[in-house]
Formats: sequence, C-alpha cells, structure tokens
Amino acid sequence: MADLGPGAAAPGNPRGGAGRGVRPEPRHIRRVLVIWAIATVLGIALVLNLHRLLPGLLPPMASSEAQGVDFTLGFFTVLAVPVAMLVWVFAAYSIATWRVRRFEGLDGPPISGSPVLQTTWILSSALLCLFLVVYGLALLTNVSAAPPGRLLTVDVTGQQWQWNFKYPSRGGVTTTTLALPVNRPILFRVTSLDVDHSFWIPALAIKIDAIPGEVTTVYAMPTREGTYTARCAELCGLYHSYMQSRVRVLSAGGFSSWIGAQERVWGRGGG
Amino acid sequence: MTAPQSGRHLLGALGTVVVGAVVVVGVSGLLRVLAAVPPTLRARPVGVVQTAVGPLTRASLTLSTYPDSLAGEHGSGGGAHPGWVSYGPTTNLWVPAHALVTVTIRNYDGATTLTDPFYGRVQGTVGGVEWVNGRATRGVPAAQVAHTFTIHMFPTPGQPLLDVSVPLPGVPASTPVGADGYPAPTVVTFQFRTGASGRYIWQCEDPCGTRVGGFGGPMSTQGYMTGTLVVGHG
Amino acid sequence: MASRWWSQSVLTGVPMGVVTALVAALLTRAIGGPSASDAAICIGFVGWAFGFLGGMGAFRYPRTLLLARPDPTAEEEHQLAVQGGGPWRYFRFTTDHKVVGIQYLVLGLVLFAVGGLAAMLIRLELLRPGAAAFPPATYNTIVGLHGIIMIAGTIIMITGPFGNFVVPIMIGARDMAFPRLNALSFWLLFTAVPVLLCAPFLGGFPTGWTSYAPLADQAPPGMDAFLVTILLFGGSVAVAGANIVTTAITMRAPGMTWTRLPIFVWGAAMTASTLGLMVFPAFMAAMVLLGLDRTLGTSFYVASGGGSAWLYDNLFWLMGHPEVYVIAIPAFAVIMELLPVFSRKPLFGYRTAVASTTAIVGLSVLVWAHHMFVTGWAPQLNGPFMLTTEMISIPTGVVFLVAVGTLWRGRIWLTVPMLFVLSFLWNFVIGGMTGLYLADVPTDYQLHGSLFVTAHFHYTLMGGALMGFFAAFYYWFPKMTGRMLNETLGRIHFWVTQVAFNVTFLAMFYVGLQGMPRRVADYSAQFAAGNFVASIGAFVLGAAMLVFAYNIVSSWLRGQRAPSNPWHAKTLEWQVPTPVPLENFEETPVITSWPYDYGAPEPTPEGAAERAPA
Ligand SMILES: [Cu+2]
Ligand SMILES: [Cu+2]
Repeated sequence: MADLGPGAAAPGNPRGGAGRGVRPEPRHIRRVLVIWAIATVLGIALVLNLHRLLPGLLPPMASSEAQGVDFTLGFFTVLAVPVAMLVWVFAAYSIATWRVRRFEGLDGPPISGSPVLQTTWILSSALLCLFLVVYGLALLTNVSAAPPGRLLTVDVTGQQWQWNFKYPSRGGVTTTTLALPVNRPILFRVTSLDVDHSFWIPALAIKIDAIPGEVTTVYAMPTREGTYTARCAELCGLYHSYMQSRVRVLSAGGFSSWIGAQERVWGRGGG
Repeated sequence: MTAPQSGRHLLGALGTVVVGAVVVVGVSGLLRVLAAVPPTLRARPVGVVQTAVGPLTRASLTLSTYPDSLAGEHGSGGGAHPGWVSYGPTTNLWVPAHALVTVTIRNYDGATTLTDPFYGRVQGTVGGVEWVNGRATRGVPAAQVAHTFTIHMFPTPGQPLLDVSVPLPGVPASTPVGADGYPAPTVVTFQFRTGASGRYIWQCEDPCGTRVGGFGGPMSTQGYMTGTLVVGHG
Repeated sequence: MASRWWSQSVLTGVPMGVVTALVAALLTRAIGGPSASDAAICIGFVGWAFGFLGGMGAFRYPRTLLLARPDPTAEEEHQLAVQGGGPWRYFRFTTDHKVVGIQYLVLGLVLFAVGGLAAMLIRLELLRPGAAAFPPATYNTIVGLHGIIMIAGTIIMITGPFGNFVVPIMIGARDMAFPRLNALSFWLLFTAVPVLLCAPFLGGFPTGWTSYAPLADQAPPGMDAFLVTILLFGGSVAVAGANIVTTAITMRAPGMTWTRLPIFVWGAAMTASTLGLMVFPAFMAAMVLLGLDRTLGTSFYVASGGGSAWLYDNLFWLMGHPEVYVIAIPAFAVIMELLPVFSRKPLFGYRTAVASTTAIVGLSVLVWAHHMFVTGWAPQLNGPFMLTTEMISIPTGVVFLVAVGTLWRGRIWLTVPMLFVLSFLWNFVIGGMTGLYLADVPTDYQLHGSLFVTAHFHYTLMGGALMGFFAAFYYWFPKMTGRMLNETLGRIHFWVTQVAFNVTFLAMFYVGLQGMPRRVADYSAQFAAGNFVASIGAFVLGAAMLVFAYNIVSSWLRGQRAPSNPWHAKTLEWQVPTPVPLENFEETPVITSWPYDYGAPEPTPEGAAERAPA
C-alpha cells in the first residue's frame, strides 16, 4: 500500500474550474433559478404575514425604540429569505435531481471549483454584510442619543430579586411599580447593589445590565399608554424568574396625579 | 435486514425509550427529595370582616425569625446548617383569597444594616403601618433592621400586585437571653389584603446571609430566609 | 507488568484519587479552620485529580525524566500502547491513539446522556407555568449542569473521538505526536466529570454555565466544584490541542502536502490549537480569580472591594465566543469531508474552504464583546464589535457555497451520515441568519438574555455542530468498531431528531420574541403555548436520542461486520484494514493525489477508491 492515489490520472492539487471536459448544463441552472425566485417571493409573503399567523409574536411595541426594533426584525428577515432560499433550493434541487438509490460505482463530474462563482459569492456576501453594518450603525447612533424633549430621569436599583425606581426630580420618591409619562423621553440610570442583573422592558425594547458599583444608562421614549412588565434578563440567583415589576405608561395628567399621590405617601415616611 | 430482525430492533429501541422515560421520572423524583421542599403553613380563617372593599375573610399567620436554625422546621439539631438565620415554623405559606390577613412575626435576631434603606419603610400594609411591640410605625432606620418580610412579583400579568414589605427591627444587643436560649423578641404585627388567587414569593431584603452582598447561604435557600406564598381558595 | 489485570488501571486510580482528595481536604481544613471550607473543597478536588492520575501511572514517564533515568525502550513504549490488549486497555493509561479515540467517544456519549437528561428535566419544569417540578434552586443547578456538560461535550465530541482515531491515519501517521499526552488529555478529562457531578450535592450552583461573578462569589460550595471542573477540563483541552496541532504539522506522510491535507484535518487542527491553547486559558484564568475570591477573600469581581463584574464578563467571553465558533468548525470540517464522498464529486473550492476556515478562526477571537452590548461596559465599542461580528458571516457563508457546489450535479448517495450532513444545511442557515439580529446592536438590546438567544445557539450548536457529530459518528463508526450501525434505526433517529429539533427550537424563538427571559424556572401565562410545544418537542427529541443509544449498543455488540471501506471513500483511513492494526500502516504510505479526486474521466465498476495502486 505504498501508493494510494490514482497516479497519473489526477493532478496533485485541486484546480478551479471545470477543466476536465465537463459539459455545462444551463437548463438545470435556469430551472433552479426560477424555483428560487418563486420560493423567495413565497417566503417573503410568509414573513410579512407572520404576525397575523402567530398572534402576540412580539410584545406591544410601545416606544419609539421598539418601533425601530420591530421594523429591523422584519427587514432583516425579508433580507434573509433570498439568501436562505438560495442554499435550500439549490441543495433540494440537487438532491431531488441527482439522488441515487444505492452506490453504483459512478462518480459525478470532476468540478472542483469555480473561481468566478467563489469570488462572486464572497463579494456579494461582503456587500450584504457592509450594508448591514452601515444600517446597524445608523440605528445604533439613533437609539444611543437622548430623544428630544424634557428628560425625566429614573434611577433603577436592582437588588436580589426586586427592582425599585427612584424619581430624583420628585424628592427621591421610590416605588416598586414603575410609572412613566407617555411621549416624554426617559433616562434610566441603572445600578445593582449585589450581583449582575439586567433591566429589560420588552414592550419598550430597552435593556441594560445593572452592574454592582457602576451606573449604566439607557434612553426610552414611551409612545403608547398601557401596562407592561419589566423583567430581569441576567441570571441573578434563586428568584431570577420572579424579578419582575409592573410598568405603567400613563398620560401626562395621569402621571402627575400618580406621582403626586406617591409623594404624599413618601413624605409621611411610608413606602 | 430481515423482517424479524427489524422487528426485534424496533422493539429494542422502544424498550430503550421506555427505560429512558423511567430514568427521567426517577431522577426528577430524586431531585425533589434532595431539594427538601419545606411544608406549607396555612393561615387559619377566623370569620368574615366587613370592609370598605366588601366582605373579606379574616385570617392570621404567626411566624418567627431566629439568629440560627435550631427552633424552626430544621429540628432541634438545626439540620444541615444550624448556624444559618431562619424563619419558622416554615417558609411556604398559604393564605385565602379576598382576605384580610393579620401577620405576627416574632424576631429573635439582632440587626444588620440594610443595603437599601428603601426596605426600612413599611409598604403595602393596611394603613401603611406595622406595629412594633404594639406601637404603630411607618418605617425603621436602616441600621436597626434585622430582617424584612417582603412579598413581591407576579409571574403572570393580571395577577393582583401584593407589594407588601415590612422591616423587622432587631433585638438590641443588651437584651438578656432567656431560658429558650434567645433574647425576648421584637413582636411585629401588620395586616394586608389579598385579592384574587395567585402565586407569589417572599423573601428577606436585609443582607443577613453569607458571602458577597450578604445574600448567600440562608438568603438564597428556601426554608431559611425566603419561601413561597400562595393565595388560594379552600 | 501492566499486563496484569489489577495493575494501574481505573481500579487503582479511583481509590488513590479518593484517598488523596480526602487527605488534601482534611489537611486544608485542619490548617485553615472553618473559614477554609471552600479552600478545602477546591484543594480536595485537585487532590483527587492528581491522586487518580498517579494511580493510573500517568506520572511514570515524567518521574523517569526528572530522575534522569534511562529512556523507555521500544518494547516499553509498545507495552504502553497495547496494555495487554483486550478490553482492559480502555481502562488504563493506554497511548494507542485508536484506544484514546474510543475512550473519548464513549465518554462523550455519556456526557451527552447526562446533559440530555438535564435538558429533559428543564423542559419538564417549563412544561407549564408554575415551577411545578422543582424548586428554583434545583432548577438553576440543572440549567448550569446542562449548559456546562453540553458545552464540554460539544467541545470534545469531534476532535476527541475522531481527531484522535482518524486524524493520524488520515495523514499517514503511526500515532499522535505525543502518545503519552494523548492518554493524559483523556484521563484529565475523565477526572473532571465526577468533580462536576459532586456540585449538586454541595448546594449546587445558581449561575448557569456562564458562572457570572459576583453571583459566583456568592454561590454555595457547588461553585467550587464547578471551578475546579473548568480547570481540569481546560488542562485536558490544552494538552489535546497541542498534540493534534503538532501531529498535523509534523507527522504527515511523504507527499501529504498542505494542499492535499483532508479538510477534516485542517478543521480539527485549527480548532484544537485555537481552543486549547489560546482561548480556553482565559476561562481558566477567570476561574482562578474566582477561586481566589471565594477561598482567600480577594475581590477581583467584588465592586465594594475595587473589583469589577465587567472584568469577569471580558475574561469569560474572551473564551466564550471563539469557543462557539471553534465548536462549529470541526462540524463544518466533517460536513465538507463527507460531502464529496456521498456526492461522488470533488470538494468544491477546497482552497477557499481552507482559507475561510482560517478566517473564521482568526476573526472569532475579535468578536467577544458582542456578548456585552447590553452590559454598558464600553458603548463606544459596540459599533466596532458589530462590524467584526458581521464580518465573520462572510467566511461562514462560504461553507454553504462549498456544500451546495459539491452537491450540484453529484451522484448523491443518501446514506444516514449524508442525511445528517444535509440537515446541517437547513439548521445552520437558520442558526446563522438569526445570529444577524443578535449582531445588530439595537435588536440585540431587545433579544439579548431572552429565549431567542437560547434557540439561536441551539440551532448552531445542536442543529449545526451536533448534526455534524452524528454524521461523523455514522460515517466513522464502521472503521472504529468494525461494525455497521443499523440503517433503519439510523433513519428513524435522523427523521425524528430533525423534526423534533425544529419544533422545539422554533417554539423557543417564538417565546423569545414574545419577551421571555432565558434560564427562568417560572414564567407568565402568556408564554404557556410556546413552552408547551417546546417541551413536547424536546421529549420527542429525547426519545430519538434513546433510539440512537440503542442502535449504538446493539450494533456495537452484534451489528453487521463492516468492510474496510463501506463508503468507497478515498481518504487514507479507509484504505487500511478494519480493525485497524496497531501501527496503522505496514509501511509508510506515499501520497500522490488529492483525497477528493472523485469524478474520474471514465467510471470504474468498483468505484474510484478501489482502483489498484499505480
Ligand atoms: Cu436579577
Ligand atoms: Cu434576613
């Protein structure tokens, strides 16, 4: 067993291209491209109607940040469909067309690569990637800046396994229910007194870790009144699952009367 | 592969699946035993009271907090961790729905300063107060708190909030130790109302445990400084 | 002397390990007092590992070296590789790479069985809201065990069994470069398993496998067991990595040039070197600092003592992210190795595939902070890390081009291994595409820490990498054991796995998008439907794995005898007899062609691989 190769019949190295007399088969390419186009259209149609098929697929998108996330999720999915379909349709077509029941000792054509195709593939995925990065950076710049308007600051403190919310502009009123005025920019300053937590309001699409000894910040602009939930999104020990608080987005008037009532209780020395 | 061989293989595979299912059930049973779930203490309903929000069942609970684990559910030997602070007689509680619950907690432990003074305030009780040795109060300074009894959270939206939190003032260090090995306790009483049925948890928010932040050991173990609270019917 | 059944095997290793552990722990406790209980546990577990290895005879050669005794003779080396032959050699410090490969295979399957059991328990808890099955502390420990066992299992699942058994034969070598280190890597891994399984009896650990500090500082003594497990496992991975890389570089037969190297060798060697030598040490360092925090009261991770949780996050993800790519690469390599065999066509774009694999490995060490977008650690770096993360999708995408290009116009032979190769194409596309949402910072703000992430990485690690393992398993099992796996059971295993897997994790995407955090024991009623479906899917998936387990055991014991080359493949391991002789090759082979040279101008009746040597 000194020499295991087919010897002279084969070149020592893989070479690109169908250089060994492989007949091209354009009709397969034409067919599979048509199937791909149809599958892509159907796939995109499915994506655009997914929220109808699966009610409650996303939480109520109740902030301007959430609306951006909602759009991006759908947009990326639509972009992903043709790429995924390219792989699936080509693979499925190959399997359906060239499947053999059992091994017959026959080989396929000796195509070991196509420099043009490989270059095209890499360049187009690089372009797609570049687009995603530029898009992402633009969106990131957008959500990192304070939304316009008079900022309301809320200090969020995580401690195993409860959040509390302090309104520094209201004499330090502190509560375990978070109330926010609608259509007003909010700055959350988040910290933890013990271990890592993560402050997440799914309906507002904001999340920032609560790190002991540090203050992290995140902006939100609630746009829709309603009752939502704040959850802890970083495993923080025994009752991580129960580290949830009620969030109420109120009208401007509703918020003033709520915070007024809280101030009176707070002033009496009770919680 | 011949037909009888194939049949035998399918049977063997099916048998393996059954054995696997038995193993899953067996191991989960074993883990439940290892977890030693504390028994449940049910609040006694004692008649009905008319209130501004309609008739409510009256019920009462009596709990104690100890500087160790020698007097509660862990037995006189103290179980695996005799030195851990603990609530007794147990930490899994049951109270009726739509009830006015009166809770009495005897605290036999000294104070540990709160990490967050917020939990020194009485919250969510009837009248916003607790009675400490018979005296009504709305809050306790952070340095004087031994433990807190803090109910919170709702795994399901729509379940009524029960944001009750009361601080338990510590026994002063100078208090003489009695025949039972503990000083005379601080007695804290408070009332809260329950709504519809639901599942809650309660915990101490005072860093009375071990390790980083004082929230290790008993603070992170059901049966010591934390437990469940079920609001139910029947 | 090692031929006597009682001499230096696990039967001497285990008692010596246990005695050393007890002595070490009790001594530490006696010297340090009650405050040293964490130190006693850590030192006890380390003592177990050293005692066990000593009892196995792992230190005989180092001792010889240190005492400047004469080098072992060829006969002694032979003895170390054979260990008296028979089944007992699998329980000894045996240096034959084929024995080590089988040892890794069995231990890997045991790890998957335990990790899978934990997965079933997790889904049992999440079947309905209400945390009905276990209290939260028990649940948290189960989650952590599932995570670390599956991560460890997937790290070793391909480079361990197949990297050891197949790679040396594939490159025409007689053994690995360092046979003793090979045995050491396996037995070091073995010592880590009982240590981890002690954790639930030491109070468990509430942190999950990510063991985030300072929660890990606060955890019960189960955390000590966890951190020693990581140190032992990391040692094993480092030793194994150095060995595989050195083997691939120095042990290739004449004519096995870099461009004739099977793609599987490329994947295994690059992975092993990156993971074991560059990446895993960061996790080990993190665990050493954690151990110091816990035993000596330092404050590396405790803010009140000047430490930082962000330090832990960085150390962990410096390992954590490269690690997931590096788990995936051996699977990519298996996929690319098998596609030409079952498409009967050359690998499409071999050089591009090698270059892409290299690029993935290189980029993978530059993306770690995308796990920290929401930590608030360095918001100014979110943009750059988004860039590197999305860049890595370019070389990853090439794998799909290679796959589809190889399939196109092939003669596609749908064997069980090929089915698993094809399922990879479905699952990993979904896994990769959903990664885009997590790479994009604003959408990550929403999805991070939710079950969407859990579903995403199960699509890549289970739907992708584990399917690659299954493909490799069905493909190389005949060579490794001399038996064929039952095909009917294999097809049942495949179809049930593929369907149940997709049901389980699509449902998990759904609840993740709805806003359900991961690693929770209890959840709101709004997530009940998705979780119910995911649990049922997971139970069916578990049943499929049991069919697989039955197939392994029954086929290994009584399966059809395997021919030496059942797949008519061209790589070297299929050209040697089955069972593979101790020295693999009678004489050193000389390589004259590329291993994917399918598609000869005129077809031969026996298939390309069986043509007579020139
Ligand atoms: Cu938390
Ligand atoms: Cu306490």
